[in-house]
Amino acid sequence: MNLLDALLLASLATTVIMFLYGNHPRVAWMSVGFYGVQLAVAALLGYQLSQTGGTQTLGITFTVMGNPLIWTMSGLGWFFAIITIGAALFSAWYAAGEWSKDQQSLRLFHGALALNVLAMIILLASGDLLSLFIGWELVSWASYLIMAQRGGAAAQAALRYIVYAMAGAMAILVAIVMLQQYAGSLQFDAVRSALVGAPDAFVWAVMLLFGAGFMVKMAMVPFHLWQAEAYSETPGPAAAFLGAISSRMGLFALLIVLVQLIGLERLMAMDVVFSFWDARTLWAWLAAITIVIPTYIALTQSDARLLLAWHGIGQGGYMLLGIMVASPMGVSGGLLHVFNYATNQAVLFLAVTAVLYRTGTTDLDRLGGLVTRMPLSFVAMLMGIIGLAGLPPMNGFVSKWLVYKSLIDNGMPLLFLAAAIGTLGTILSVYKLIHNTFLGQLRLEHQNIQEVPWSMSVPMLIVGALVFITGYMPGLALDMVSLAQHALGVASLNYTLGGVQTEHGGLNMLWVVSILIFSIGIGALVFFMGNRSVKVHQLDNYAGGHFLSADIRYHYSHNFYAGLMRVIGPWYRGSIVWLEAAVGSAVQFSSSVAHGLYRRVNAAIYLPAVLLLALMWMWL
Amino acid sequence: MNPVLPIVIPMLAALLLPMAQRAHAIAGRWFGIAATAVNVLIAIGLWTSVSNQGPLTESVGGFIAPLGIMLRADLFAVLFVFAVSAMALLLWPRGENDRVREETLMLLLISGGCGMALSADLFNLYVFYELVAVASYGLITSRASGASYAAALRFLILSAAGSALALLGIAMVYSATGTLNLVQLAQLAPESLHGPLGMTAFTLMLLGFGVKAELFPLNTWVPEVYTAASARVSAYLAGIVSKLALIVVLRLVMTAYAHTDATSLLLVVGMITALSGELAALRATDLRRILSYSSIGQLGLAAMAFSIPGSLGVMAGTAVMLHHLVVKPALFLLAEQWQSSSDSSSMARLTGLASRSPWSAALFLLLALSLIGIPPLPGFWAKYLLISALLTEASVWQVLATGLVIVVTVVKTVYFMGIAQRLYQRDAEESSRLQWQSEVGLQQPFTPVAVLGGLVVLSVLLAAPLGDTLERLSTQTVEFSGVPAMRSASIVTSEGALP
Repeated sequence: MNLLDALLLASLATTVIMFLYGNHPRVAWMSVGFYGVQLAVAALLGYQLSQTGGTQTLGITFTVMGNPLIWTMSGLGWFFAIITIGAALFSAWYAAGEWSKDQQSLRLFHGALALNVLAMIILLASGDLLSLFIGWELVSWASYLIMAQRGGAAAQAALRYIVYAMAGAMAILVAIVMLQQYAGSLQFDAVRSALVGAPDAFVWAVMLLFGAGFMVKMAMVPFHLWQAEAYSETPGPAAAFLGAISSRMGLFALLIVLVQLIGLERLMAMDVVFSFWDARTLWAWLAAITIVIPTYIALTQSDARLLLAWHGIGQGGYMLLGIMVASPMGVSGGLLHVFNYATNQAVLFLAVTAVLYRTGTTDLDRLGGLVTRMPLSFVAMLMGIIGLAGLPPMNGFVSKWLVYKSLIDNGMPLLFLAAAIGTLGTILSVYKLIHNTFLGQLRLEHQNIQEVPWSMSVPMLIVGALVFITGYMPGLALDMVSLAQHALGVASLNYTLGGVQTEHGGLNMLWVVSILIFSIGIGALVFFMGNRSVKVHQLDNYAGGHFLSADIRYHYSHNFYAGLMRVIGPWYRGSIVWLEAAVGSAVQFSSSVAHGLYRRVNAAIYLPAVLLLALMWMWL
Repeated sequence: MNPVLPIVIPMLAALLLPMAQRAHAIAGRWFGIAATAVNVLIAIGLWTSVSNQGPLTESVGGFIAPLGIMLRADLFAVLFVFAVSAMALLLWPRGENDRVREETLMLLLISGGCGMALSADLFNLYVFYELVAVASYGLITSRASGASYAAALRFLILSAAGSALALLGIAMVYSATGTLNLVQLAQLAPESLHGPLGMTAFTLMLLGFGVKAELFPLNTWVPEVYTAASARVSAYLAGIVSKLALIVVLRLVMTAYAHTDATSLLLVVGMITALSGELAALRATDLRRILSYSSIGQLGLAAMAFSIPGSLGVMAGTAVMLHHLVVKPALFLLAEQWQSSSDSSSMARLTGLASRSPWSAALFLLLALSLIGIPPLPGFWAKYLLISALLTEASVWQVLATGLVIVVTVVKTVYFMGIAQRLYQRDAEESSRLQWQSEVGLQQPFTPVAVLGGLVVLSVLLAAPLGDTLERLSTQTVEFSGVPAMRSASIVTSEGALP
């Protein structure tokens, strides 16, 4: 039994045990240990992969209808897998303690979580296109299960997701069949060599079909509408897991097809007709649009979970954008952002869930001032938002810096501008998130709430610490990235523990963060050693020159950024929402027609008509 | 083993059953079942001999074509002989009103069904088709409810119209070629049938046999009948009888009308059938009606597959049909089980059912997911083969058809997952309404469902050998017809068909 066998076996065992006994609180705690085991096995596997530089193949293979089914994990799959297991570990930990007290079915929650991990590992270990498709479908339906478990609105959102996912999956299946008939095999090597000589039109067709399917999972514009609602309706810790890694499965599969099968050089050689663009530029701009539009939609959200979920869509764009730059630095930045964003989103969702657990709401208009009551959650969220916004000293800064730098180095100023606009929107809306939740004056009804229990705050803070540590020492995460990059066949980046070194300057986070801490230290020194300070109570402040008495709680949260919205508000058209509704009602209408057709009593009338038509067709 | 046996044995049993009943009550009770069981054994025997020695041909009574009755047992035919008999055994009528009458009709249906599978002659096909039709009218009314009589009458009218069309088409073929033997037709077709007359004949036969095959436009009886008849009858009609009618169309397309426009007509009819069926299912509000519409959709897909020339099309179509043949009857039985204890058959009754009967709800979910086509369930392989077949030639129609498969799958996902969500809904106010429900349990009606569900699970594990068998089967089916087109003389004379 090799390490991949062991990993899948451990994951399978976790899934079975959780579905059978997950309702028991102690078993829920044990799941944390199970994920720990999986993480250890995965770490060993990673060590082995980095030593041998190769891949690890599963002991079991099948042959169905002439197609061998093989599971092989390379560095790329391993990189995504270790993030997956880590995310599951912290989600399960967070969910194991007090949080679970008011949950309906813990068995479903833990079972679905373990099933998701299993399905994702199967997908990430796929060694040919057929096993990729099987893994893909497993992941889709496992996500559906975890999203729909609450019923009601969650089930509706999940149904919307699965409709998108099935349409995408069918597109993928068609592309796979096309490749099977063209290349005569579904093995990656055979497909890769067959695509080298394939005509451009064929490669375009295959790429667009695959792309449409994988973009659904990544929630790239225009297939993004399902995600925010579905994730925000998922129970908190599961949403943290989904938000952290689930959509990245789309990125993984897209990388397989775009980078490994078609190849970036080929993408650059395929021109978009009637334009100056090639296929690579098209993908880069799709990524840029995915950064900008969902990020600004996030800005208008007034629910914390929806806001985060919309950001998740936007951040996926940075990853693809970095990879589409196709330089070692860009690819590193894109992949590193997968890890960084997973930590950011996990800690943010966990912090918002903590707020929800104590206050019962995530409505940003009904919160405020919680910093005095839940300081640890505040710290966790602060770390998360700095990371998400891409500011030092957190890890999000490093990956975004790499992406920006590679965009500028490779002469793509417009894409850089789009990415920067996206970051601006991110900063604005994460500020809105922390301001409306934790700053301002505490509401009367939240007077007596307390910090969340340790079972929830500890995992949250550990993830927050990860955000900081991998920001301080990005080399730790870049170790994993280089393994993935090697598997992708892209040249490695020259990196150190503190950052990267290139000929046009580098980045050393050890220095950046140290200077930052040093200057904050000086500020603190001045603050504490200087003149005596006055401590102002949270409620003791003014608004517009007016003194507000303590019985009128004042917190400016509704219609945040009203001024900005006056300027950019008219740009929100909701065209894609409209398009989705139009398709939906067209289907409804035609289904009414079809139903009416079958409900006719005198149906025999169709007979002569169809007969006539058919005869005409046959004769002409 | 003689391929006449599976036709003769149930027919004789049908005639003898009333007498056996009169002679001895217990003998009468087991007589029909025993005959069907023998039929199943014969089918297995035929399968082994056909797969060892190749197709068997039998001229009944020693008369050779075009005068004699030709039977031909290839793997495809034997598979359906087996399916007809085995499913009958599984869905044996429960004798709600008149046990002897129902069992007699069932035996006639088996006899006709086996005849349709084995006939190598257009006229015999028609005769057996009518036998099946008459037996089904009777079975539909076995519930003796007003709705079932109305449905049967409607079916009768449409079916009669269809039969008339089919007979007209057969007559035209005969007038043009002077023979109705399929092997001879395949030879004569290129000069005598590939003109306006032959195409007209095909159109008439397609629409005529399409009545039972649930093909557009004569399939409006489907939702009516499947809702009104008892679940076992609906399951049998949807599972088996509709496929038999499609076999006739397949035989036509493979022999007389290979390489003609006929295939594109079949493709278009299949596309309209699949799309209209699935869309109508989206709008329907009654579980059994939804299942009926979904059955129309599946048969449309099978018809689309059969329009693809060559063994890939046959393989895909057979896979779709076999999958549907296992899954749909189980769904019909589950639906009846859930709805039988209430007058209203509205979907609201299903809300929260999973908490009361978790096993049957899980089984429903499994079967629904297989119908949607989720790997590694067998429905996925059927869909994979279907898309593979459709994409072999990149003509406009086939690309359209592939797009249609995508649309249809998404629509199917919507309505099946809608039902599944309803089953698994947990709602305090709804659950009070569920007092009347209990787990379906391992009582008699559940056994066939469990067997069929077990088959689905088993086929996940046996996907590889099943695929190989299917490939052998479809190659043989194509040879039945494709060979005369190329190596005509030697094959046909060796079978003693031509003077």
